Amino acid sequence: MMVVEQFSLAGKAALVIGASNPLGRAAAVALAEAGADVGVATTTRSPREEVTANSCANEIWALNRKGFALAIDAADESDVDLSIERTVAEFGRLDILVNAPDLHFATPLTDISLAEWRRVIDANLTSVFLACRAAAREMLNQESGRIVNISSVLAERGMANGSAYCAAQAGVLNMTRALALEWAKSGVTVNGVGAGWIDATGFLADENMRRQLERYLPYKRLAEPEEISGAVVYLASDAAAYLTGQVIWIEGGALSHV
Amino acid sequence: MGVLDKLNLDGKAAIVTGAGRGLGRAMAVALADAGADIVATARTRGQIDETADLVRDKGRRCLAVVCDVTDSESVKGMVDASLAEFRQIDILVNNAGGATDGFGNALEAITDEQWRVGIATNLTGAMYCSRAVIPHMIERGSGKIINVTSGFGLRAARNNFIYTSAKAGLINFTRSLTMTYAPAIQANLIAPGLFPHGVPAMQEWWKGGKFVPMGRLGGDEELGPLCVFLASDLTSYMNGQIIVLDGGGLAGGQLPTGFAPVIPLERE
Repeated sequence: MMVVEQFSLAGKAALVIGASNPLGRAAAVALAEAGADVGVATTTRSPREEVTANSCANEIWALNRKGFALAIDAADESDVDLSIERTVAEFGRLDILVNAPDLHFATPLTDISLAEWRRVIDANLTSVFLACRAAAREMLNQESGRIVNISSVLAERGMANGSAYCAAQAGVLNMTRALALEWAKSGVTVNGVGAGWIDATGFLADENMRRQLERYLPYKRLAEPEEISGAVVYLASDAAAYLTGQVIWIEGGALSHV
Repeated sequence: MGVLDKLNLDGKAAIVTGAGRGLGRAMAVALADAGADIVATARTRGQIDETADLVRDKGRRCLAVVCDVTDSESVKGMVDASLAEFRQIDILVNNAGGATDGFGNALEAITDEQWRVGIATNLTGAMYCSRAVIPHMIERGSGKIINVTSGFGLRAARNNFIYTSAKAGLINFTRSLTMTYAPAIQANLIAPGLFPHGVPAMQEWWKGGKFVPMGRLGGDEELGPLCVFLASDLTSYMNGQIIVLDGGGLAGGQLPTGFAPVIPLERE
């Protein structure tokens, strides 16, 4: 088989949770471009997210792949179970799960209420636990599967006022490593994609912070979401069969900086 | 352009060091399969000639050049020959390296010469090749460098001083390439786990990989797609990073490399 064909996802069925996050949306489109049928789910039941998910599903159909959009609360157990069941009902199987929750939250620790802390951890970390657990019921049974959890450079580096978000993002990556070992012999791989700074994220609403980043990033610019989704395709494909428990960082060299 | 089209390396030229066997050969052939012309270099003529045949079987051109990467004059000659043949170098894979004399020696038993050769083979060679190629890449405004490190560059082992130091040095050398030459040049690393290259003695030494979390050793052909991925436009924003391809070994690895302990479950 030619080497490039090993990256093809033709005939595979995927679910992306977090289609309203630009990274989740780009990942869903890239999976479809690589040949997969892709269901996309929201992370909250907000009408704005539902509109984005629907437009993402349309984009998947336009690529001649099967797709569907589903409005769920990704931190709700039965909603997440339902999204996996729906994928299996639509496509007959589940080969690929991509988790791309991304609730931004920046507050000094002393001002964070317990309810807020739980909301951030639930949205960014517990949602990934729920989705991995639900997907594993299918994947362990069929003895094959690919789970890709999208996290952030803030999993690896701290940032003032980011304690809750940083803790959740780091939690996703170390849960990824533990699950990879737990399922290493089952045919299911679990990996992370560590995304660099992209546009249109909550933290960069601050123009000053955005300018600082563009000044100090080695590329002198933020990433486009499409520049990150190539790693999702690679990890989801047969080309990465021996790769598990790892994080592929696509961050323009930001983490190389002293 | 679809996402898979970005993997296409048609019209690109790649130098692969240590291309005479094992992972180097697998990467050279995979790059050729994706469309690149190849400069295959190593110290042994016979082996790179075989690699060249495999590359030509893929319908690509191949220049086989004998080169000792620890000799900067030899490296310069190899790069000059590559540019004379292909007029451009888009991809440099610094793969040459491996265990050298004194590997596993206790610290007090390492001779000055063993240390010098080990560092030269596993670190200095990549510096020489990068130094020779980068001015050309800068001039063209683009280039991909892929350095092959090891789990021993990230973690340590008892009485493994030469190899761990060189491979760890290679990682931070690569990060400095990133900080200096981004965004024109992307420099990333591959850290392969245990790959026996079809050698039965190595299969046996590593017990068939039964202590690797996935329960098996790596196949050389599994490294090819990763090399193509890093050489391609899919990774244009990726820089200074390491991809570990090891069947889960380093995801745990608090006990001997790749050994995956399972936390005992509580019993009623």
